[in-house]
Amino acid sequence: MKNPYDVLGVAPTASAADIQIAYRKLAKKLHPDLNPGDRAAEEKFKEVAGAYDLLGDAEKRKRFDNGEIDASGAERPQQRFYRDFATSDRSHRYTDTSGFADFTDSEDAFAELLRRSERARANRPGRDVHYRLPIDFVESITGASKRLTLPDGGTLDVKIPAGLVDGQVLRLRGKGARGTGKGRPGDALIEVEVRPDRRFTREGDDISLELPISLSEAVLGGKIRVPTPTGEVTMTVPKGSNTGTTMRLKGKGAPRRSGGHGDELVRLKVVLPKSPDPALEAFVSNWEKGKTFNPLEDRTS
Amino acid sequence: MIMNKQEFLTCLGLQVHTLDFWLEQRWLIPEENAAGIDFSDVDLARARLIRDLKTDFGFNDEGVEMILHLVDQLHGLRGVLEQLAGELQTPTSR
Repeated sequence: MKNPYDVLGVAPTASAADIQIAYRKLAKKLHPDLNPGDRAAEEKFKEVAGAYDLLGDAEKRKRFDNGEIDASGAERPQQRFYRDFATSDRSHRYTDTSGFADFTDSEDAFAELLRRSERARANRPGRDVHYRLPIDFVESITGASKRLTLPDGGTLDVKIPAGLVDGQVLRLRGKGARGTGKGRPGDALIEVEVRPDRRFTREGDDISLELPISLSEAVLGGKIRVPTPTGEVTMTVPKGSNTGTTMRLKGKGAPRRSGGHGDELVRLKVVLPKSPDPALEAFVSNWEKGKTFNPLEDRTS
Repeated sequence: MIMNKQEFLTCLGLQVHTLDFWLEQRWLIPEENAAGIDFSDVDLARARLIRDLKTDFGFNDEGVEMILHLVDQLHGLRGVLEQLAGELQTPTSR
């Protein structure tokens, strides 16, 4: 490990200001981003930066002078410099070719080569653009057509496939940013957010629903209207249905990947009339069998 | 790695108004989308260079502007040279 004073080219008696000046002078010359092709410059820059880390900090410098720490001081963390990216495709937003535009004006073979690569660069594909689109639960089951308004005021028609799940990403080919020249446009990537529904919840390909029924429907059975994502249907509730009884509506769930549809599971919930009813009270108080039935003993229901 | 603005600020130890100024000057051109700004590794490395120029080397804004312009041209030229070298190695039939 070299002596940091030698690295910076200053005397051990140099003032803090002199050390900073010496560092700036060397660093400007050696900074890897200002010497993109020079591997040796990077090594030297690290050495200089390490020396300045030590001597630029009064506390560390004192400890070094007293022999408490060696010249390695604290190692600088690995850093990826801009030059590591700058010639890659990812930095094309920054690179600038105007500095040698005049070369391509002439007639020779070199100019022709330059022109060809210029054209290749000119035909750059556009980049992908990301959007988020919230849709209703019902739309996620049945599919839908949505129109997305873009930040620039344009619109994008998006076809939501039936059975889509929350967080799914749709790719619209060629609907992203325009490419330059003959470059193909990028894609629009649309992350779809499914808003939860008050009534339905999804379990795989099935959807479930809690359906309130009246006491008379529970006791006597009957036909009731049940909402499904594709509209209301009529379902027959059997006599003596209870809270928790689950009925299955075949094919009213989400589309299955393998074809067909999942089911809608309807969980019944018996709801008493809101206001107390004297007739019902009179009936229940005279109903002998109701007094001897203890639901705690009857765990089968 | 993609960062949002807050993560980017934290990573570099920058003030919001400093970053906003850099963006305004178009020293940094991160990708924008409907949800906000996405900063990539390239932007991070470039921001480090700008930070080095400003704080360690004491360049003023005009100096930074000029250096970035020259560095961008240098990399443009390096990119084309690299491509040319590739083309010379594998001649295309014309």
